[in-house]
Amino acid sequence: MKVPKRSARLKNLQESKKDAEKEEANNLLEQKDKTEEAVERSKEEENLVESPVISDDDDEDFSDDDGSLGESGSEDSHLSGEEDVFVSSDGEDSFDAKSDDVGGNGASGSGRDDTEHGEDDDSESDDSRPVVEESDSSEDEVAPRNTVGDVPLEWYKEEEHIGYDLAGKKIKKKERQDKLDSFLASVDDSKNWRKIYDEYNDEEVELTKEEVKLIKRLLKGKAPHADFDPYAPYVDWFSWDDSKHPLSSAPEPKRRFIPSKWESKKVVQYVRAIRKGLIKFDEKPKEEPSAYLLWGEDSNAIDRQGLAYIPAPKPKLPGHDESYNPSLEYIPTQEEINSYQLMYEEDRPKFIPKRFTSLRNVPAYEKAVNENFSRCLDLYLCPRARKKRINIDPESLKPKLPSRKDLRPYPTSCYLEYKGHKGPVVSISTESTGQWIASGSSDGTVRIWEVETGRCIRIWELGESIRHVSWNPMPERPILAVCMGEDVYLLNTGLGNAEEQKSLEELLRVEMPSTPDDSDNDKTIVNWVQDDKNGGIRLKHFKTQRIPFKLHGLPVSTAFHPSRSAFFISTKKNIRVYDLLKQKLIKKLETGLREVSSIAIHPGGDNLIVGSRDGKLCWFDMDLSSQPYRVLNCHPKDINRVAFHRSYPLFASSSDDCTAYVFHGMVYSDLNQNPLIVPLEILRGHASENGRGVMDCKFHPRQPWLFTAGADSVIKLYCH
Amino acid sequence: MPKHYRPAGKKKEGNAARYITRSQAVKYLQVSLSLFRKLCILKGIFPREPKKKIKGNHHTYYHTKDILFLKHEPLLEKFREMRAYEKKIKKAVSKKNRDLAERLLTRKPSYTLDMLIRERYPKFIDALRDLDDCLSMVHLFAALPAVEREKIPVNRVHNCRRLGHEWQAYISRTHRLRKTFISVKGIYYQADIDGQKITWLTPHALQQVLPDDVDYNIMLTFLEFYETLLAFVNFKLYHSINVKYPPILDPRLEALAADLYALSRYFDNRASMTESKATSFSESDGSKDLGKGPNYEESELRLAQLQQQLSSNEPGALMHLVQNAAETDEDDSETRECKTLFKDIKFFLSREVPRESLLFVIPAFGGIVSWEGEGAPFKETDHSITHQIVDRPTQGHKFLSREYVQPQWIYDCVNARILLPVEEYVVGRIPPPHLSPFVDNEVEGYVPEYAETIKRLQAAARKEVLPMPGVGKEDLDDPQNLLVEGVIDRAEAIEAAEKKRKMSVLQKQYHDELKKELRSTQISAASDGNKESVSEHIDTGEDSLPDLSQISKDADSMSKIVMPRKKQKLLKAMEIGKERKQASVDRLKERKRRIEEGKKSEK
Repeated sequence: MKVPKRSARLKNLQESKKDAEKEEANNLLEQKDKTEEAVERSKEEENLVESPVISDDDDEDFSDDDGSLGESGSEDSHLSGEEDVFVSSDGEDSFDAKSDDVGGNGASGSGRDDTEHGEDDDSESDDSRPVVEESDSSEDEVAPRNTVGDVPLEWYKEEEHIGYDLAGKKIKKKERQDKLDSFLASVDDSKNWRKIYDEYNDEEVELTKEEVKLIKRLLKGKAPHADFDPYAPYVDWFSWDDSKHPLSSAPEPKRRFIPSKWESKKVVQYVRAIRKGLIKFDEKPKEEPSAYLLWGEDSNAIDRQGLAYIPAPKPKLPGHDESYNPSLEYIPTQEEINSYQLMYEEDRPKFIPKRFTSLRNVPAYEKAVNENFSRCLDLYLCPRARKKRINIDPESLKPKLPSRKDLRPYPTSCYLEYKGHKGPVVSISTESTGQWIASGSSDGTVRIWEVETGRCIRIWELGESIRHVSWNPMPERPILAVCMGEDVYLLNTGLGNAEEQKSLEELLRVEMPSTPDDSDNDKTIVNWVQDDKNGGIRLKHFKTQRIPFKLHGLPVSTAFHPSRSAFFISTKKNIRVYDLLKQKLIKKLETGLREVSSIAIHPGGDNLIVGSRDGKLCWFDMDLSSQPYRVLNCHPKDINRVAFHRSYPLFASSSDDCTAYVFHGMVYSDLNQNPLIVPLEILRGHASENGRGVMDCKFHPRQPWLFTAGADSVIKLYCH
Repeated sequence: MPKHYRPAGKKKEGNAARYITRSQAVKYLQVSLSLFRKLCILKGIFPREPKKKIKGNHHTYYHTKDILFLKHEPLLEKFREMRAYEKKIKKAVSKKNRDLAERLLTRKPSYTLDMLIRERYPKFIDALRDLDDCLSMVHLFAALPAVEREKIPVNRVHNCRRLGHEWQAYISRTHRLRKTFISVKGIYYQADIDGQKITWLTPHALQQVLPDDVDYNIMLTFLEFYETLLAFVNFKLYHSINVKYPPILDPRLEALAADLYALSRYFDNRASMTESKATSFSESDGSKDLGKGPNYEESELRLAQLQQQLSSNEPGALMHLVQNAAETDEDDSETRECKTLFKDIKFFLSREVPRESLLFVIPAFGGIVSWEGEGAPFKETDHSITHQIVDRPTQGHKFLSREYVQPQWIYDCVNARILLPVEEYVVGRIPPPHLSPFVDNEVEGYVPEYAETIKRLQAAARKEVLPMPGVGKEDLDDPQNLLVEGVIDRAEAIEAAEKKRKMSVLQKQYHDELKKELRSTQISAASDGNKESVSEHIDTGEDSLPDLSQISKDADSMSKIVMPRKKQKLLKAMEIGKERKQASVDRLKERKRRIEEGKKSEK
């Protein structure tokens, strides 16, 4: 009964609305404006609606024009009650809720919708129905209702009541619970989290599970109802088939019927390409013969371009040891294989021979690919250079020396030995006639020997080890100078004929008286003392004489120039040549040796030889350079003495390795020709004593003979 | 001032202008390093060693002219084009334009290396000279497994196999093989073509391992060049003996992996056809008893060949005949010797022996060979077989008419150029040591025992064979006889040596006595002359006589003294080398002595 009544009412209402709308539509031209208007209107309507909400009490006052609200109010109290429920559920948003409510079931809103769609009126009633139902469900829960409406609740803060019920009676506030109790109660109650305090009605509301779910969905931003599908398939409501009245009655355009210009252009392009043969179909690329006669006649071959080609060296051919079945001696023993591990990686043999007793046992070579690869790398990564492989006989390296036979005479073999000294013979000296030699030994004796027979003629016991002995170069005055400790003895040898002897004695005696005079004079450096025992003079050094040259090192050996007034003095490294007249340095010769031991001057005066303690012998040509002309690395041990022959082109060196070398050293008068140096002979025979070998060597003044004095206290004469 | 300051406006000079480093070269050519490598490999350009390294010691230097040479290489432009083309394909694929991509793929540009080969080897002899590495590489790859991971494609492996077989077929056919050597690494062969000694290594026919530490790209680039080179060389060689290249092979034999035999058959056919067609047909008749099923195919193949022959060579058939005759005349004595080594000997190979190698070697020295398996020319039961090659501990069933020898016998015979006695190589025995034919024992300073034995046998064979060549063959065939003779010869030699030694001992004694006498007379004379001299001593006798070595040493050291330092060092280096050689020889001798001692003690 209710429903038709209500629908009839609604119809009336809608009609009235339509009229109003029409009026408005006349005023509004554009749709946008319409929407704006709609918004405004809705506001107006809200205002309209609001008034009945506020004055909810006087339901009967509503006119028919006011719409559904009035109707609802008149109809039933439950609709308003439903509103209340909404308000009560979220009191703070009461206004929104109400407006929603109004929008939801407000007749004006739905009415407008109806006008827009031009649909049947029943939808309105459908819309309103669920709201009614909802209100039904919520109505069951609570009996007393607050009717204060949407007023700030703080107005009732001081009061004992919270509002008024439908009957207008005051609703009393509930007693305040103790906080502790409420807390305990909340803790005990597992459903506590669902409870919400409703300020408006002053009660606690427990949310149902459905409500909680709904809230959760809302919080997630989803549609509130689970069964609502936001992505439902689109149902096209418009029927596109030929309808009586098509949307567009334009005829089909021409372009739908003619071929595309661009396509045809493309086709033409393809056609042309095919004609030209640029595009080929199902045709395999032509198989050209892979090989042909590349080298025809060699005569018309072009020469190789580019740089000169260096062919790669061929790989090494295998030897016996690479055989699968080598002779037993090619197989290293286990110890040898183990010892390979101790070797350096580079020295280790790359290939260890193995033996297999038959061909079927030979396995695949595991390094085959590696070796081939390394060969490839060699071929394209190794710098190639032509290197002259010296495949010559080592003999051909040796310089062509003039035959030694042509350079005779020179000392070759030991002819005589002079024995008698008890200690190493330190120094020997030959008399200028070549008849006698004098020798000094470290046992403190000086002896004079007859060269030809080897007989010892005279012995002086001087007591101290002799350093040096030297004959007077003048044959008519056979005086011997002996250096010993700090002193020098001048000894009368007692040789020569009586006349000479007499003059000699005179000479030595004449010196005698002069000594006291000299001794008076403190300035003299040397003290001359008559030594009757030995028949000579003893020179005593008191202090060293200062030479007027700077030496830059300790002097090692000295020599006078044979013809000019020049003086050679050698330090360990260098040799300086001074002019004695001008007292000036003439030349400095750089030996490059570690330690010079002795020097000797060629009788011509322009060449000199230097022996050193590292076994090297330097030949200096002073016209040529201050560097050695030739360095001969002949001795493994120290060279003790070097000597030139006075007339023959010979020189010799004696060394601690118990050998003496004899060289041919020819100096030409032609300045363009360099001296010729040929080693002639190695003289052996001396024995080593305390690491010393041959201490001194001297040439015979006239014959090509060499005297050597050894540390084994023997003097030897080598003859040709 | 920087180290190598060059004033502005002055050009680079000397080494700075002549050499550039690799990175400079790469930048200059605007290529990637890998492409640069490839170009260098193909063009055969290698780094140089400048006297003064401008950029430092740790750089690789190329000659500027080499790089310019590369720059003007058409191949470089081709590579660039190919790269651009690759990009086109890639673009089409990524745009899902499949039609275009497919079309592009079918028309990919490719390059050929024939001009490069012409350029690098203007004359055929140059190519032959550089063939060693090529052959070794091709043979190695023929034995490698085709691996997808390393991008070794199957067809290239097959190509390598084919090329190798073609080469071997030529060598075998023309009897150019000179030396063979089975080493642990593989089998070495040495052939002699136009006076060029070409040595190559084929790996043992076993599964090869592919190591990981090898850049296969580089090897494949080398292989690419070598394949082309070998193809051209083969063409030229085949051309020189009037055989068509590439040969058309019997597919049946090819399927049985008897390529080499197929090739030799091919050669035979060609030869017979040039001589007379009738024989070829008779041969084909003869071959009917071998396999009946594929006979039809075979004859068809022959026909095809015959047609080609007719079309190409018919007018010149007579000419070829003449040429062949001339060729046989031209053969040098060595080739003739090689051709007749295994003449009238029929070999049969057992299953376990390396077939490919022996199929190559035996025909190269004039032997006839068959093997166990399908497609073989004759069966094991053939009674004309004289030698059967076996490599097993024991041989069950033996034909009395033939010798059972180990494969090493073939190789040793080939190296010695005589038929060695078979006793040492009989089945089940450990064969005598296999010696390298590439070693000059005299230069090396150590002659292994077996080398001496072979030498003696050779001498014996020569003595017998040379004066009467007609009878020689029989002697050769009878190894027993040979051995006996060899032994006799050996005994003689030993005797002679003994005599010589005795003579020398006697001589020495006589000399010693003479010297003693001399000395005593000298001493007496001296004592007579100088009786007074107390300290006199004559040391002519005792000292000078044993000092003969001393004297030579002295002479050595004296000449060394005068040598310039540079030469001294050179001499020293030479001496060190000599010493090292001597040491190795001594080591061998020592080992030998020890082994012999061990043997004696065992006895």
